[in-house]
Amino acid sequence: MKHWLKRNLAFARLGIQTNLEYRFNFFIDAIVQPAMTAGIEIFLWFALFAATNTETLNGYSKESYLAYVIWAAFVGRIAISWMYEHMMMDEIETGSINAIILRPMTFFEYYLSQLLGYKLVIFLFSSLVPLSIVLYFGLPTALNRLPLVALLIFYYLIFIHAMSFMTACLAFFLNRVRSFTLVKNFTIYIVSGELFPLDLLPTFWKKLFLNMPFAAGVYLPVGYLTNRISTELFLTGFINISIGLVVVLFLSYIIWRKGLRSYSGTGA
Amino acid sequence: MSPAIEVKDLNRVYYSYKKSVGLWSSVKGLWNRQHVEKVALSDISLSIPSGEVIGLVGANGAGKTTLIKILSGLIAASSGEVNVLGYNPFHRRNEFLRKISVLLGQKNQLWWDIAPVDSYQLLMSIYDLDVNKSQKKIKELADILNCTHVLETQLRRLSLGERMKMELIGALLHDPQILFLDEPTIGLDIVAQTSIRNFLSAYVKDKKPTIILTSHYMDDISKLADRLLIISKGRLFYDGSIDKFTQKSVQKKRLKLIFENPTKNAIRISDDVLIMPGTKNLDLEVEPTKMAEIITQIAQFQSVQNISTEEIDFEETIREFLKTQQ
Repeated sequence: MKHWLKRNLAFARLGIQTNLEYRFNFFIDAIVQPAMTAGIEIFLWFALFAATNTETLNGYSKESYLAYVIWAAFVGRIAISWMYEHMMMDEIETGSINAIILRPMTFFEYYLSQLLGYKLVIFLFSSLVPLSIVLYFGLPTALNRLPLVALLIFYYLIFIHAMSFMTACLAFFLNRVRSFTLVKNFTIYIVSGELFPLDLLPTFWKKLFLNMPFAAGVYLPVGYLTNRISTELFLTGFINISIGLVVVLFLSYIIWRKGLRSYSGTGA
Repeated sequence: MSPAIEVKDLNRVYYSYKKSVGLWSSVKGLWNRQHVEKVALSDISLSIPSGEVIGLVGANGAGKTTLIKILSGLIAASSGEVNVLGYNPFHRRNEFLRKISVLLGQKNQLWWDIAPVDSYQLLMSIYDLDVNKSQKKIKELADILNCTHVLETQLRRLSLGERMKMELIGALLHDPQILFLDEPTIGLDIVAQTSIRNFLSAYVKDKKPTIILTSHYMDDISKLADRLLIISKGRLFYDGSIDKFTQKSVQKKRLKLIFENPTKNAIRISDDVLIMPGTKNLDLEVEPTKMAEIITQIAQFQSVQNISTEEIDFEETIREFLKTQQ
């Protein structure tokens, strides 16, 4: 256990170290992009309320929506994995996975720990953007809930990583599986509530999406942080992720095993 | 003592699909693909005792790398038995992986974006190594390889030779019992090649690991290997010492002649040998039984200043052999 922890902390450090190596890219990723996304969201919702000439939408005020979209843009960026999914695909497609699977560690943990390490740093840096905006505009946010929200987001990241791992494993059988990432992540963008709050959806769809683990990626943590949902509903996120994790890990295991059987050690 | 590596009736088949030239065949390939089998290894059986250095030689595509991939656990065998240090390598148990090291000359095993010292730190965590002992070892190895000055430079900024030295240190850090070296000197200049070869030679004498080495440079093989395995078209063609292989294969000697003056006209010695006008130095490969006859024939036409004979070396023997296998 001690060795496992030591190894995974080393991977997390690697995730941080390699990303800090490219300072400009890190700065764009951690500060510029979230600031720009937040700016666009603010303009969009200001325009929406101005055009409809209303004080509330579906029972929520303009400030409430602004708080939601500002935090959603931040949380949505934390709770998604493009980079590591592509890196895992590359490793399989080019055969550089060889250096990982011939060492006493697993491909899954290697990338999970890097992802968590990197996201932790991004979380700490990027959170300055929504924090400054909500404090400046006085938008409704229960900051005391932030630690519990962070816990859910990082638990969700394990689930998202399992999804990425499963998608990347398709590269054992198919060349160029990036189109899967695009379709998957765009779907998650909608069903997680990043694009708009899930409570704007008709009841059937809202219920359906709330019972999926993806809602725990954006809607539940942001809804809880902005006083939109109850604690009970927020806590269902942990249960939904757990169920989703069991299913995805089971499928991943099967695809991984089959993939390794068909793997030819590309390029070595 | 049980052998470090034991292989029995090993076979490996790769599957791919055949595509004809042109756009239409690409379109057709969307629904109809013709799959083909390629036998990479066929009925390989061998036993390697602990501490032996094996030179694995063969033409491109002969199956050398496939054998290394199977022995290290990277890919599964299609059939047959493989036992490495008492493990089925394809199960890739952590205890097994801690005892081996694989260095693929055409792939980085260290991390591209960080300095080798950081990569070694990571390896210490992965292999659960004692930090002080490992740091001492890194220093020792880097001193021998004369590369201490690049330990803190990102891998991506190093030359190929420096990178390979760093890779070697990384591969040896956990004292592997078996070392798989696939083309460790590929692409290196002659100085770097010699440096790595000398280093490995000293390391083998000191630590006595089992090594499976493939290289296209026969100097690597002849200077490091105790035993030669030649693979041809997926089959084990030769398994024995380098000397025996050379003796068995070489049926010719090199005959070197220096003429007093360049030849004026073309001289036909036999069906195979034609000396062109203007030749001053002549270099021929001839069967020992025909040597006297050839020298006599040439002397009839041309005054000879000096005659010498040489054994054909291992590199040439292998080259000639591989030519026959293509």
